This record gives sequence, structure tokens and C-alpha cells, in this order.
Amino acid sequence: MLRLIAWRLIQLPLILAIIFVVTFTLVWMIPGNPLDRPDAQRPPPEIEQAMLRQYNLHDPWVFAGSYLQGIFLGSEHYPAPDFGPSLQYQDQRVLQIISAGLPVSVQLGAAALIVALCLGTAAGVIGALWPGSFLDLSSLAMALIGISLPSFVTGSILLVVFAGLLQWFSVVGWGSPQHYVLPAITLGVMPAAYVARFIRLGLADIMSSDYIRTARAKGLSYHHTVFKHALKVAYLPVISFLGPAAAATMTGSFVVEAVFQVPGIGTHFIHGVLHKDQFLILGVVLTYASMLVAFNLIVDIVYAWFDPRIEYAAESR
Amino acid sequence: MNRIVAILSVIGLVTACGEGVPDADFIYAAGQEHNHLDPVKMSWSHDIRLAHCLYDTLVVFDFNDFVIRPGAAERWERSDDGLIYTFYIRANARWSNGDPVTAQDYIHAWRRAMLPDFAADYTQLMFYIRGAESFFNWRTEQLKQYAELAKTGSGGHADAAESLWQLTGDEFQDRVGLSAPDDKTLVVRLTQSTPYFLELVAFSIYMPVHAHSVEAATSVNPRTGMRQTRSDYWSSSITNGPYQIAKREFKRYMLLTANDHYWDRAAMKNSRIREDIITNAPTALTAYHAGEVDFLPDMPSAGPIPSDLSRADRPDVHLQKMAGTYFYNFNCQPRLADGRENPLADMRVRRALSMAIDRKTIVKRVTQLNQPIARSYVPVGAIGGYRPPVEDGIAFDPVRARQLLADAGYSDGSNLKGLSILYNTNAYHELSAQAIKSMWQEYLGVVVTLEGEEGKAFSVKLKKQDYTIARAAWFGDYADATTFLEKMTTNDGNNDCRWSNEQFDRLIEQAAFEPDPKQRNQVLASAESILLREAPMALIFQYVNLYLYDPQRLHGLRPNAWNRWRFEQVEVGGKRQ
Repeated sequence: MLRLIAWRLIQLPLILAIIFVVTFTLVWMIPGNPLDRPDAQRPPPEIEQAMLRQYNLHDPWVFAGSYLQGIFLGSEHYPAPDFGPSLQYQDQRVLQIISAGLPVSVQLGAAALIVALCLGTAAGVIGALWPGSFLDLSSLAMALIGISLPSFVTGSILLVVFAGLLQWFSVVGWGSPQHYVLPAITLGVMPAAYVARFIRLGLADIMSSDYIRTARAKGLSYHHTVFKHALKVAYLPVISFLGPAAAATMTGSFVVEAVFQVPGIGTHFIHGVLHKDQFLILGVVLTYASMLVAFNLIVDIVYAWFDPRIEYAAESR
Repeated sequence: MNRIVAILSVIGLVTACGEGVPDADFIYAAGQEHNHLDPVKMSWSHDIRLAHCLYDTLVVFDFNDFVIRPGAAERWERSDDGLIYTFYIRANARWSNGDPVTAQDYIHAWRRAMLPDFAADYTQLMFYIRGAESFFNWRTEQLKQYAELAKTGSGGHADAAESLWQLTGDEFQDRVGLSAPDDKTLVVRLTQSTPYFLELVAFSIYMPVHAHSVEAATSVNPRTGMRQTRSDYWSSSITNGPYQIAKREFKRYMLLTANDHYWDRAAMKNSRIREDIITNAPTALTAYHAGEVDFLPDMPSAGPIPSDLSRADRPDVHLQKMAGTYFYNFNCQPRLADGRENPLADMRVRRALSMAIDRKTIVKRVTQLNQPIARSYVPVGAIGGYRPPVEDGIAFDPVRARQLLADAGYSDGSNLKGLSILYNTNAYHELSAQAIKSMWQEYLGVVVTLEGEEGKAFSVKLKKQDYTIARAAWFGDYADATTFLEKMTTNDGNNDCRWSNEQFDRLIEQAAFEPDPKQRNQVLASAESILLREAPMALIFQYVNLYLYDPQRLHGLRPNAWNRWRFEQVEVGGKRQ
């Protein structure tokens, strides 16, 4: 286990370096001046040059040098290492933007995962134990809708009905639990459908396996067998799905953030590129990349915890 | 099972609770987060809207009545030749920390605005002040040399940067026509008589900053020699306007509380404003209908949402004609970027194309707000005392258009080839372009191609003149016709058509020296007539903004063509729903 963690930690800087180089190159290939606006007047050339110089944007090498210096050593004005200024939101540092938005994205993603696990498990268990029942069919239908409907539709419907018409939740703001509910459901419906499918298939399979029959024959109660033994095994594919799912919910909440006005960092991912905000794109991409690597590591650890066979295999190697 | 519970509870812990939003007397929803809070750098209208809450300019322009009113200056004098302005700052003008507002604060702020270190889109609006432009260029040159020296290793240390800054201070004193005989008097010398100088002084780039605290947050970068103000200063800056920022949560909200030291505090009708950032228009609408916000100033200006609202016959829907024009630029150069001969260099072709646009259909079907059709470049009613020569504008007339095209040698239209419409991708720019393409095909037989580009790529093509026809818009910055017309002079960097007309240039110059405002506006109108006749652009419609607020509850909110508001005059009566 320790070896696995160490190996992943060694990989991390290498992966980040590759991602940095690729992103940096792509960002400089986006045409246009990050500081100009298509609909506004353009300043005279000498002012435009001065604007670019303020941020070292007049030369990619100077930019790369000062950017890397900023990340590792800090700059003259900002002695602490950081990701530089945002070009789109010039009174913010990219680090400020990320540290304000990332916890929100993580919280929302985590809340969505809870929704996904609860809804998905319930639907999956019902489907596996009582296939063809009314409950099963309706949970299947829910899963189908969850997978098929894009989140801007689900989100808008929830928003209009529960925040607009019924006014159970507030539309504006972020922070109190009531703000989490609708976006978490919207974001969690899709992974819930996957969880349900995994559990339904897995559990149905396991329930007809020999060891479950043996357990039942030895006198274990039905519920005990299902929840103590079968469900645990059925959860294994769900756990390996949790890594990408966590990454997807925490990083892929762009649409949900826009619909519910959630101040996460998903929107910066898109807007950074649209505005050619070099600093913001690099900062967000590097953050996301680190998160993805970290999630995969966590999933590996949790997987080993759930299924001790993996740990034995690693140790015997 | 308990392991599953363990995982769930770990995830649950991550979802920790936070706090809600503070209440306020007046809440409005901004359509996007602020790009700058440093007044020198502001160029977006939602930033400028906020700036007027925070900083008090020497004079204030009333965009509803088109008059100049006193701001931080209680009075001012203009020399007979129009070259010297003297402003007398109020004795009771104070910063939010209680410090008196002084002439030095303005000089400090205006110097910042003239430095290439902080260069911003509107820096050139400072160049009306004597010596400002040469100071800007001098400093730019010095910084370039400094950077070169730093690269070779013979410069680029803190002492060198500091001594360059000392030198810059002296240079500023010598070159720039700004002086303060005493703490409350500011004397400004101009390069040439500028009849609209007071309108400029009321603009955001002329706002003051609290010299002492800004200086403390500013340092010199020894590597580049440039000065830089810490960006976090602006989220809690010291202000001299009606409000100060009490709390800012990026991408969520900003809470403004009354500045108790503001000279006109007694006249303020509210003491707490909250600006919520809601980027998604349907979400903003839901929040408005749920009674969570009082005012929506940033609704989209075209498409189904404003169209549905405008048709609903509601007292809280307000349509306001704006000081902005939507049009198509024609590339007027004799040759195109690829070296081909340019058919649009012929005025008859441009006029014919413009004449074949059925603008009524566009404002009805595409933008759907029935925007006023633009027959002049300067929007009608946007500038006090100026009457655009609409009679010279081009109206829809396909028969004459065909005739003109035939005169130009394109008898059936299909031999007019190689034209394309360049637009920045956005739902209604695209639909308008499709509509206009089909109109030209139907009425003239001219086939054009459509060329949609993302914003940045679009700008690059415009700058390189790599287009034949391009979608464009222009919004005025200050309430004078030159804010529109100067853009079309031969040497203006924003003259994307590269249209050039000597007589037009001469008239614009003549207007600058015309002291009589009435006479001056007539000169400008005759310049615009030339522009309209030569049709370097096909004018399409005047922008219309849609605002949502309940006039029964909100008093003192006065929409105008410039999207400028005096939020301190807003009185909110009754409760939110």
C-alpha cells in the first residue's frame, strides 16, 4: 500500500510538468490579445503594448519565465508563490479565485456524490431484490431520465419549480445547506443512475452465488445476508467508479454552477479559455490535474480497504 | 455496511456549512463579476456603474437631463480660450476614513491614469490634458530601456527602479499641465480647447483615489521598473463617493454601505446596497420573481427572454433606448487583405448593400425587441443638443439598391463575388447575419458567405483588415457626438472600415475649435451627413436595454441611454414579496 502511494506521489510532478507544457503551448496558440474585447474600442497601439507588458504577455518566453518564478518563488509584488493575476478579473489573483471557488466545487461535488450514492444504492437494491416490481420499474425510469436529460434541463426544471414556484429554496447565494440541495441533486442524478446500474447487476448476480446460498443455509437472516455480505461485494465496481465520478462532479459542474449561480471554479475553466486568460487557464488546469491524480490515489486506497485481496497482492509482489 | 456509512460521512464532512448573504435596503443583480475595481482600468459598463457608487468625480454628468452638476468640486472656472480649468474642491469632501479630499488626490489618480504601468483601454482619454501624451510616451520609452538593461544584467535592481520612479515624478511635474495651488484647488491645462472636457472629467478614468493608501499598496517591480498596485487593495479601498465596499465575496455578492463622510450623505435615500452576481439570465429572472432581488439592470438585450418580457405588458418591464448602435462595417480599402480588388471600395456597392437590408424584419424576428431602426450613426436622443441628420441615412429600398448595383457594374448581382460576413459567434449575431445574407440574395442576387469566429479570433481578423463585411457595435463613452464620430476619422485606430474622407476629417477638427455649442453640433452633424451618404457601414438598429424593477416600490431609479445610475437616490418602499 505504501509503495502504491509513494509511486503515485513520484508520478505527480511528472504528470503536472507534462500537463503544464501542453497547456502552455495550447494557450499561446489561441489567437488574439487576452486584454481586448471584441465589442469595445481598442486603445492606440502604444497603449496596447503597454497593457501587454504589464503582464509579460508581449513575449511567451518572458511570460513562461515569470510564471514559473511566480509559482515556485513568488514575485516582487507577491512574495508568496502563486499563480499570477487573472487577466479577466484583474483585481483578483488566480490563487484567490481558486481558493475561493475550489472548496465550493468540492463541497458541491461531495454533496452530489452523497446524492448519487444514496439514490443509486436505493434504486439498485430495489431493482436487484424485486426485479420487475413497480418500484424497480420506476427507479429504472428515473435512472434513464437521469442519464438522458442534460443537467441544464434538470437544473432549470428544479430551479423553476422548487425555488421559483414553491420557494422552498433560495435562488441567490451560497453557503447554507439549503443552497446545496438543488444543485447537488442535479449534479448527482447522472452518477446515481450509474451507481444504480452497477448495484442492480452486481447484487442480482451475487444473490444467486454459492456463498450467499451457504450463508442463508447456515441460518443468516435475509437482510443480514444482503446488507452485510452481498452489498459489500456489489459495491466494489461502484468504488472504482467513485474516482472518476468524484472528479467529474467536482470539476464538471460548469453547467450546474451557471444555472444555480454556484461560485465554484467550473465556470472559470470555460471562461478562462474564452477570454484567453492565460494565468487562469494554467492555474485551473494544474489544480484539476492534481485533483484527478489525488482522487485516483484515494480510490485505490479505499478499494484496497474494501477488498483486502488487493492489498495481499501488492504485498506479495 | 458500516464502511459505506464511513465513506458517506467523510464526504458529508466535506460539505461543511457556511453563512448566508447579508440583507440590504436595495439589491440588484449584476450579469457578471467585476473585471476591475481600479477606476483607472475600468472599461466595462458594470464596473463603471459600481465605480460611480464608490468614487466621486469633480463634476457629475446627469445623463437624464444632459447637464453637468457639481460633484466633489463645488464650483469650477473655465478660461476664455477654453484651455484652463480650475476646480474648487468642497471643504466638506472627505474620504471614507475621514481624510479630506485634496487636489493632490486627483493629481495622484490622474498621474496613475497616465502611466503606461497601469495602461488601460481609456488611457487616451487623459491625453486631452497638456503633456499627458508625451509623458506617457516618455515613460514607455524609459521602461523599455530599463527592461533592456535589466535583461543584460547592468540594471534591474530596486535602487535603479526607485531612481527611475523619482525621475518620472520630476518629469510629470515638468510636462503635465496639472497643478494644485492649494489643497482644495486643482488647475488643469489642456492641449487644445475641448468643449466636452467636463463630460470627460465626469468619466470613471478621471475618478480620484486615496493617494496615501494607494501609494502604500503600490510598489516598483525591479525587473521591469513598472509600478504595480496590489490588486486586493481595490476590494476594500478608501472611497470618497456615496458608498464603500463593506464585504465582497467573489462571484457571489458585494455589500456596499453608506460612506458616512460623503459630503452629500444627508441626501442619500438608502444606506446598504447589495450587488448579487448572477450570470445566468433565467436564474436572475427566477430570483427577481421570487423577490430576492429588486432590480435587474443586465438582462440580455435581444432574444426570447427580453422579447417575452416586453410583450407581457407589465409595469415593471422598462425598455430604454441606448447610446449604442449595431451595424456592419464595410472594408473600404481599395484592396483586400489577400490582394484582391475590393468591390466595397465603391460607395455605390456599399449603399446598395445597406439599402437591401430590411431592418424591420431583423428587429422584429431576430432581436425581437423592436429596436429603433438606425438611420444615423449617432443614436437619436442620446446626446443633448445634437440632432443626427437622419434624413441622410439609408432606408430599405431594394429597387434603388438594384439600380445602384447595376450602376456600379454588377447588373444581376451574382457577379459581385467574394464577400463574406464576419461576426463574433453569439446567438443573435449569427441569426442577424443569416437574415442579412438571405436578404442580399433575395433582393440583389448577391451571394455572401458567413464567417463566425470566437471573440478573440474575430478581433484579430478585424485588426488585420482580414474581412470584407464585419458585424460591429459602438457605444458612446461620454455625452458628446465626437464619442461616435471621431472613431471614423482617417487615423483613428478604431476605424475598422479604413474609410477616409478629407472633408469629414476637416469638419471634426473644425468642431474642436468651435466655441459655440450650437454651432459646434451643427458642424458635427454635417460631418455625420457625409458619413451617412458614403455608407462605410450599414447601420442596423439602436440598442435597447430591458430593465426590470417595480416602479411602485423603487423610487428614484432613472433609466437613461448611458446605463448610468445614481443608486444613492433610490428609495425602496414596501417589502419584497
